[in-house]
Amino acid sequence: MIAGLVQILLFQGLGEIAARFLLPLIPGPVIGLVLLLAWLRVRGSVPQSVDLVATAFSQNLGLLFVPAAVGVVMYWPHIRSNALAVAAALVVSVIATMAVTALVLRAIAKDEPE
Amino acid sequence: MNPQLPAIHEIWVYLSGSPLLALILTLSAYQAGVMIYEKADRNPLANPVAIAIAIVAAVITAIDMPYAKYFEGAQFVHFLLGTATVALAVPIYKGLDALRGRIFPLLAALLAGGATSILSAVGIARLLGADAAIIGGFYAKSVTAPIAMGVAERINASPTLTAVFAVTTGVLGAILVRFVMDALGMKSWWQRGFAVGVAAHGIGTSRAFSVHPEAGTYASLGMGLHGVLGAVLIPLAVHFFA
Repeated sequence: MIAGLVQILLFQGLGEIAARFLLPLIPGPVIGLVLLLAWLRVRGSVPQSVDLVATAFSQNLGLLFVPAAVGVVMYWPHIRSNALAVAAALVVSVIATMAVTALVLRAIAKDEPE
Repeated sequence: MNPQLPAIHEIWVYLSGSPLLALILTLSAYQAGVMIYEKADRNPLANPVAIAIAIVAAVITAIDMPYAKYFEGAQFVHFLLGTATVALAVPIYKGLDALRGRIFPLLAALLAGGATSILSAVGIARLLGADAAIIGGFYAKSVTAPIAMGVAERINASPTLTAVFAVTTGVLGAILVRFVMDALGMKSWWQRGFAVGVAAHGIGTSRAFSVHPEAGTYASLGMGLHGVLGAVLIPLAVHFFA
């Protein structure tokens, strides 16, 4: 578990350094993701300890969003005075995004056996 | 009364000065959210993240704790978002084999979905007269929150507002995905999963994993690819149009 966490943190660190000095347009964790993915490809398998940590993260991803999202209390008056626009934009946009993604996928991939 | 025992308010002052209070609050609110979700038979309406946010927001408002103060403690949880983003490499790696032969449809669907996300949200918000600060928060809202916040900084939008919109989008996507996919008659799990991953990132992916493993794998693939491409393309698109 700890061995996996150390490896993932190392790649996060590499990503942050690369973002700071080489690729300022891309967030560090994304570069870390790509680097880890490349390393897994070279290695040909996922170390068990890394797999363990990654599974733990993906099963509890929701928890990690809570601190940032509680920021809603700070923007509450601002959001409330734009309530209709915000609600309509969020609801319609997420439905449209899911629908377009799914329909394009089905249209292009339809000759493939399911 | 034992004179050596500290008064209640002293304990309170001590606790609220340490990160512990915010951490306990965040984790227990999330635990409560998960328990309610399980009790409700994983009904999409009982989204655990939404419940946790509501509990934490209500508590810090009730005890008059400023958000900055709460975040000082909760940042330890928040920090792990970056680590979790890196860890996304694992489900993407596992999905790579499944990707073979599907890469073109998946990328085409992702680009169409990502463009739809921005154009529809920004378009509707403009149409209904939202102000510039609010509109700025919509650009990255379909990208997973840690990446969305990074993108927001690069396009001079508020990272917090972007995170709020991203999480709301995730919760809405997790709630609505079943109805949208059923209405469209989408049958294959990988297509349903990919769509919710692209539109509703991590929270949609959690939902997909709790419904079907194949949907979950493709959802994390959709979220990961959208994150990587969005991080590069969204700032370029904003600079191009602005």
